[in-house]
Amino acid sequence: MENGPVSCLPTTPKMSKAKKVIEEALENQNPELDLADKGVVSFEEMPGLIDMHNITRITLSHNKIQKVPPGIANLTQLEMLNLFNNHIEELPVSLSSMPKLRILNVGMNRLDSLPRGFGAFAVLEVLDLTYNNLNESSLPGNFFMLGKTLRALYLGDNDFETIPPEIGQLKNLQILNFCFPQLVLRENDLIDIPKEIGYLPRLRELHIQANRLTVLPPELGNLDLFGNKSVLRMEFNPWVAPIADQLQVGVSHVIDYIRSETYRYLYNRHIAARGPPPPKLNDKTRKISRNRQYS
Amino acid sequence: MPGVTMSFSNMSCSRCGDGFDPHDKIVNSQGELWHPQCFVCSQCFRPFPDGLFYEFEGRKYCEHDFQVLFAPCCGKCGEFVIGRVIKAMSASWHPACFCCAVCNKELADRGFVRNRNRALCHECNAADKAVLSGRHICFKCHGVIDDKPLRFRGEVYHGYHFNCTACGIELNSDARELKHRSGYTANEMNELYCLRCHDKMGIPICGACRRPIEERVVTALGKHWHVEHFVCAKCEKPFLGHRHYERKGLAYCETHYHQLFGNLCFVCNQVISGDVFTALNKAWCVHHFACSFCDQKMTQKTKFYECDLKPACKKCYEKFPSEFRRRLRKAYDNTPKKSTSA
Repeated sequence: MENGPVSCLPTTPKMSKAKKVIEEALENQNPELDLADKGVVSFEEMPGLIDMHNITRITLSHNKIQKVPPGIANLTQLEMLNLFNNHIEELPVSLSSMPKLRILNVGMNRLDSLPRGFGAFAVLEVLDLTYNNLNESSLPGNFFMLGKTLRALYLGDNDFETIPPEIGQLKNLQILNFCFPQLVLRENDLIDIPKEIGYLPRLRELHIQANRLTVLPPELGNLDLFGNKSVLRMEFNPWVAPIADQLQVGVSHVIDYIRSETYRYLYNRHIAARGPPPPKLNDKTRKISRNRQYS
Repeated sequence: MPGVTMSFSNMSCSRCGDGFDPHDKIVNSQGELWHPQCFVCSQCFRPFPDGLFYEFEGRKYCEHDFQVLFAPCCGKCGEFVIGRVIKAMSASWHPACFCCAVCNKELADRGFVRNRNRALCHECNAADKAVLSGRHICFKCHGVIDDKPLRFRGEVYHGYHFNCTACGIELNSDARELKHRSGYTANEMNELYCLRCHDKMGIPICGACRRPIEERVVTALGKHWHVEHFVCAKCEKPFLGHRHYERKGLAYCETHYHQLFGNLCFVCNQVISGDVFTALNKAWCVHHFACSFCDQKMTQKTKFYECDLKPACKKCYEKFPSEFRRRLRKAYDNTPKKSTSA
C-alpha cells in the first residue's frame, strides 16, 4: 500500500498476491497466469491483465468475480479461460469473438442466461457451464453452432427441463476431430431427452443421471455407448419399470433393451399415453449459484 | 546317195526351221534336231554348259536360268533349293534349314506344330503352351510341372529330382533352398532341405511371409520378421527401425496408432507422443494433466476426486459447496466402479 499506486478500491493482502503473479508473468514473459483462489473480486484489481496480449491461459477459479469486462476479448492469443467458482451473473457479448479460445470454464457461477451470439466461438472445444441457473430459454439461438468445434459440453447441475433438438447439430465436425465428445446433463430437471442425441455418432460419454427421465428415445441405441471407452450414466431417474429392471443388471443391458423391437413398441405407447411429468426431485435451494449479490 | 541327200533336205532345225548343210553339225536331242547355234538356253541364248539343260513347258533352259526362273528359294537362307524341297509354313526350305524356332532341331522328318507363326517341334510347343498357361517346365527333364515348382539356384524343377541334403528324403515343392549359412560364403551352400530339416536348423521364419529370414531379423510381437515385412497394420509401411505401437497383437506407426485409438490429450487435443496419463475415460499429455478446476498440474501420484469424469484436486474438492460434495459422494457410491485413479 505504501509504495503502490493510489487506489480507491479496498486493498487486501490477497489482492496484492494477484498483482504479484501478473508482474512476475510480465517479467518472465510467461503466457500462463495462475490466479486461482487469490480473493479477486473484480478485474479492476488486475490492471495490465487486459493488455497482456501474448497470454494463452488465465485461471481465475475460486475467486469472487462478479463481472467479466468486455475488454477481455482483446486477449486474442487466449486459449484457456477458467472462471470456475466465481460470482459471475453475466458474460460479455464480446467473449464469443475470441479467436483462439478453446477451453472455457464458467462452471459454478450464477449465470441465468448466456449472451446473444454465444454460439459464435471460432474454435471452442470444451465448454463447461456446470452448476449455474441455466435452462432451455437461456440458450441463444445460435448456441448449437458450437457443434462445429465442440468436443465436450458440460451442462450438469442446471435447470433444463428439455434440450432443444438442435443439439443434433453437435455432430458436425466431431468426426473430423476424431475425438470422443462428452455431454453432461447431470442433475437438471430434464423430462425428456431429444432423439437427436442418437444422431451424434461419436458420442462416447453421456451423463443424464438425476433428472426426471422416464424413457429413453430408441434412437439412443444408435450410439456406441458400449465399448470400454464409453460411459452412460443414468441413475436416479424415475425410469419406467422395464428400464429400471435392466439398469439393475447393468447399463449395457439397458442399451441392449432399448435396441429391441419390444422397447420401440413400449416407447411409442408410453409417449402416446403419458401423463404429467414426474415432480422435480432435486432440491436446489441450497445451491450457491442461487445466491444473489444484489437482490 | 540321193536317199541321204533326200533325207538331208527333209530335215529342218527345230528352232529356226532351216535345213541343214551336209557339212553342218547337227545336234540331236530326244529325236529333235538343231543347229548347234540354235541349241541354246531359251533365256540367255547361250549353249548349255556341259550340255546340261532343263526343260519346262517345251522350252529348254540352262541350269542357272532355270533356277532363276523356276527353282524355289529357301525361306531361311535365301539360296535355291535343289533336290528335296520342304514346303511348309507357306514357304520352301532346304531340309537342313527348316528347324524348330526354339531348339533348332531339324523338323523335316519329325513333324512340327505351327505356334504363333513359328514352327516348333512337339516338345517345344508343349513347353511354350505350359509357360503361357502359367505352368513351369522342369529345367532338368523339360517336362511340364503340374504342381508348384521347386525353385533352386534360379531355375524351376520337379521336386522329385532332388533329395534333402540332410535326411535324404525325396523333396517336393515345400523344400527350402538355403542361400547362405554362417561360416559359408554366399551361394557356396545353396542346398535343398526338406521343411522338417530346415525347421530344425533354427532359421527364423518371417511372421508375415512365412519364409526364412536370412538377413536382418526384427523380433517383435513375439515373432520374427523380415525388416521390410514388419509393417504398420494400417498403412503397411515398414517401420525400418522407427518406433512402433502395439495393440491387440498388431503393430502400428505412431500416426495410425493415435488416429485409430484416440490417444488425444483432453486439453490440447493433440496426439500424445510421449507418456500418457490415462484416467476417467480420458488421456492427457505430460504438459496438461492438471486439475480441471484450478489448472494446477498433477502427477501420477496426486490424489484427485472425480466430478463429471474430470479430475478435481483435493484443494478444489474442499472448496466445493458442501451440498455439492454431498451429491458427488452419493453419485459416487451409486456408480459402478471403474478405475478412478491415475
